[in-house]
Amino acid sequence: MRKLFDTGNAAITEGAILAGCSLFAGYPITPATEIAENMSRRLPRVGGYYIQAEDETAALHICIGGSLGGLKAMTATSGPGYVLYADPYGWAIGSEIPVVIVNAQRVGPVSGITGAPGQGEFYLSRYPTHGGNFETIVLAPNCAQEAFSMTVEAFSLAERFRTPVTLLADQLVTDGWESFEIPEDAEELRAAGLRVIPRYVHPGPRFYPFEDALDVPPVVLGCGLGGACSDWTPTEEGYDTEEREAQMQHAHRLIHKIRAHRHLIDRHEGYGLEDEPDIVLVSYGSPSRVVRSAVTEARRQGYSAGCIRLQSLWPFQDHLFRRNAVYLAVELNAEGQLVREIERAARRGAHFFGTCGELPSVAALLEAVRRLGEGHAPEPARWEREAW
Amino acid sequence: MIRKEVLISGFGGQGVVKAGRILGYAAVLAGLRATMLVSHGTETRGGYVRSQVVISPEAIDSPVAEQPDVFCALSQAAYTRFRSLADKGLIIYDDGLVVPDLSRGGAHLALPARELAIARAGSELCANLVALGAALRRLPLVPLECGLQSVREIFPRQGEATARALDTGYRFIPADHPGSADPGQRASGKGGRAIPPNRRSC
Amino acid sequence: MDRLAKRYLRSRKIPGTTCSGCGLGQVHKKVLLAIEQLGLGTKDIVWGTGIGCAGRQIFNTWKGDNFAGTHGRVYALATGLRLALPEERKIILTAGDGDAFGIGLLHLLHCARRNLDVTVVVADNFGCQSTGGQYGCTTPRGYVTDSSPYGVREPGWLENGLDILDMLRDAGATFLARHSSFEGQSAVDSCAQAIRHKGFSLVHFIYPCVTHFGAVSLQSGDKARIFRWFEGLFRPEAGNSGDPRFRSGVYHDAGSSRPEFASSLKEWTRTVRREAAGRD
Repeated sequence: MRKLFDTGNAAITEGAILAGCSLFAGYPITPATEIAENMSRRLPRVGGYYIQAEDETAALHICIGGSLGGLKAMTATSGPGYVLYADPYGWAIGSEIPVVIVNAQRVGPVSGITGAPGQGEFYLSRYPTHGGNFETIVLAPNCAQEAFSMTVEAFSLAERFRTPVTLLADQLVTDGWESFEIPEDAEELRAAGLRVIPRYVHPGPRFYPFEDALDVPPVVLGCGLGGACSDWTPTEEGYDTEEREAQMQHAHRLIHKIRAHRHLIDRHEGYGLEDEPDIVLVSYGSPSRVVRSAVTEARRQGYSAGCIRLQSLWPFQDHLFRRNAVYLAVELNAEGQLVREIERAARRGAHFFGTCGELPSVAALLEAVRRLGEGHAPEPARWEREAW
Repeated sequence: MIRKEVLISGFGGQGVVKAGRILGYAAVLAGLRATMLVSHGTETRGGYVRSQVVISPEAIDSPVAEQPDVFCALSQAAYTRFRSLADKGLIIYDDGLVVPDLSRGGAHLALPARELAIARAGSELCANLVALGAALRRLPLVPLECGLQSVREIFPRQGEATARALDTGYRFIPADHPGSADPGQRASGKGGRAIPPNRRSC
Repeated sequence: MDRLAKRYLRSRKIPGTTCSGCGLGQVHKKVLLAIEQLGLGTKDIVWGTGIGCAGRQIFNTWKGDNFAGTHGRVYALATGLRLALPEERKIILTAGDGDAFGIGLLHLLHCARRNLDVTVVVADNFGCQSTGGQYGCTTPRGYVTDSSPYGVREPGWLENGLDILDMLRDAGATFLARHSSFEGQSAVDSCAQAIRHKGFSLVHFIYPCVTHFGAVSLQSGDKARIFRWFEGLFRPEAGNSGDPRFRSGVYHDAGSSRPEFASSLKEWTRTVRREAAGRD
């Protein structure tokens, strides 16, 4: 294993190169620019291509155009660019084209603060495009090591499910420096639990089988197999159709190819859950690290507390929220997004602790746990900047 | 706790991030885990750059240096802004640039980093490494050799001058404590107090 | 069409779904004749389409590989696809005036700037006809459409001294031509030159929409009269004063004066790899 001390952005780059990415198209945006810069340096050396697109809409279209020709592709952006992906994101979902999308979330709305972390795209990553009738796959790393491994996994999931996969990171994960290790040969790759799936070519002509479609290769153009893909509702062969029956089959496949195999996607980390704690803190991404510190300290002080850290966000893991516990969602936004989904999954209310543009402090989370322990809701988010 | 938190802050161009990077990589070379958060104050006056480095033999949860064990203050703005965080740790400050406020907690170590950098490494640009060397002395988790190797790998061209700067900081003994053979045992600034034993870094 | 259709088109897509009297089929036929003239087969070309009448009607008619992009983005898709395909494989994109010169203009201009090896066939029917006949950026000023009941109030890309092909030329396009769907061999020749051209090529076809533009803007149900009006656009001597005037034929041919994007990027990548391998 090669040991590095570098940013999450560098870890993502290493993951992409290892996974066989050979096309990156992007548009510079803080805090994901470094991924573009790293890819522009690394790709030519492995025979790949870097393109600086005219905008993010073009960037993702260029990626899926390349994927359509058989190249594994990735793009990276932050919130203001992620919204511009709506158009090609939907195209890739509907045409079932593998692609990996990195979103280094920063605080918003709109441009917000470029160098401050946020978690405002929790729901946007579930509904990154219009029209409905689809499921999405979203992974959420909380450290450089995971930024690396989840990038490799995102490529594999994209190939197997032939759909876009979003790596929903945040500014602290991407800009933050950290020690991490990367496998140097196939054996170390296996030992790390990672797998690189090559691109297979669909033999045609049933490009969109009206059934569960795991491990069906995507349409690849340029081989003369009569491949067809489009933004329209397809027949199994790829003809555009206005038949309602075909539309229902298409929607069913897009949803159930993911739902029926969600065991390949679902991942989470629990801490302190074995003794059925009264209070369970829930988070993903960089806040989860402070949550872990806070829960460790709370338990040391005798509180009945544990935490769940979501490593995959979508499809949402409802089954994790069937405990007889008080849930506290800790998020890097001030309105509460994850908390709503927890309430839906748990079928009751949940508490929320949000910060805006910076991590919560361990002390503030301990105070929230203390209040919950006494049966009170946590203090509302503090609007003045914390001193740290 | 085995976890060590280091806060390095100064103004842009002083190599605050570079120093953090050298420390983090030195920790990796020592077989440890390390994290670093970099942030920039955007104010035009009193702006600062800050590296928060956490080092531990175990997985690091929060990467935030909430109570730094060592705080390297390379500018007045940085000192003023973050000194209160380090009131249980050691504050290493460049006494050519920072006027310390000794009325509150926090052990202080006055270090003429800029001066030493010019004298020993031939450039004031190495002041960050002099300060980092002094910090390393308080972080026995990370041996000096790892620090030197880290510097040589990260600055392959200026390796020797920069390594000298790090070494100079590591060996620095405060002038007003002639009896102190080992600054790690009795680090203290001008008129400062000794590090409280329970929070001593090494 | 039978010979061409048998060789190049999917039987399931014949007959097509265009309106009776629509000129789109004629535009498509010119391109197919050019492909035949060049001796190309179905495996030699990947065909992309945009949104609107031109995109929807042409999509998946080609017997080989096909794709249809979202509105205005097929040029960006083609940019990525171009890098993935062997250099000898052709990419032809058929799109409408709104797709190419409206919603997709940014991407089109950047394809021209990069000199991407694609052939864009713009089938221009003077507005948004597939949505029922609203004006677009090539609808002549003053004409009544469903969204300009008092006449179009803004200048189009093809009047008042503006010509969209000038902008594409200035953006770096290396082959440009313009024809009406009524022309014969000269239009086929332009298409053949465009397809053979290594670099960004675009053929702008103006074709009649009888259902909307003809019926509403020209206020005529008489197809022959509508056709005459369109043909007249290209013949100033016909005396259609106040209407745009077009010169048909090759508009701009810069040959191989600019490097093609994908092949030069591939060549550069090979060089970097060689140098990297030499160093390692």
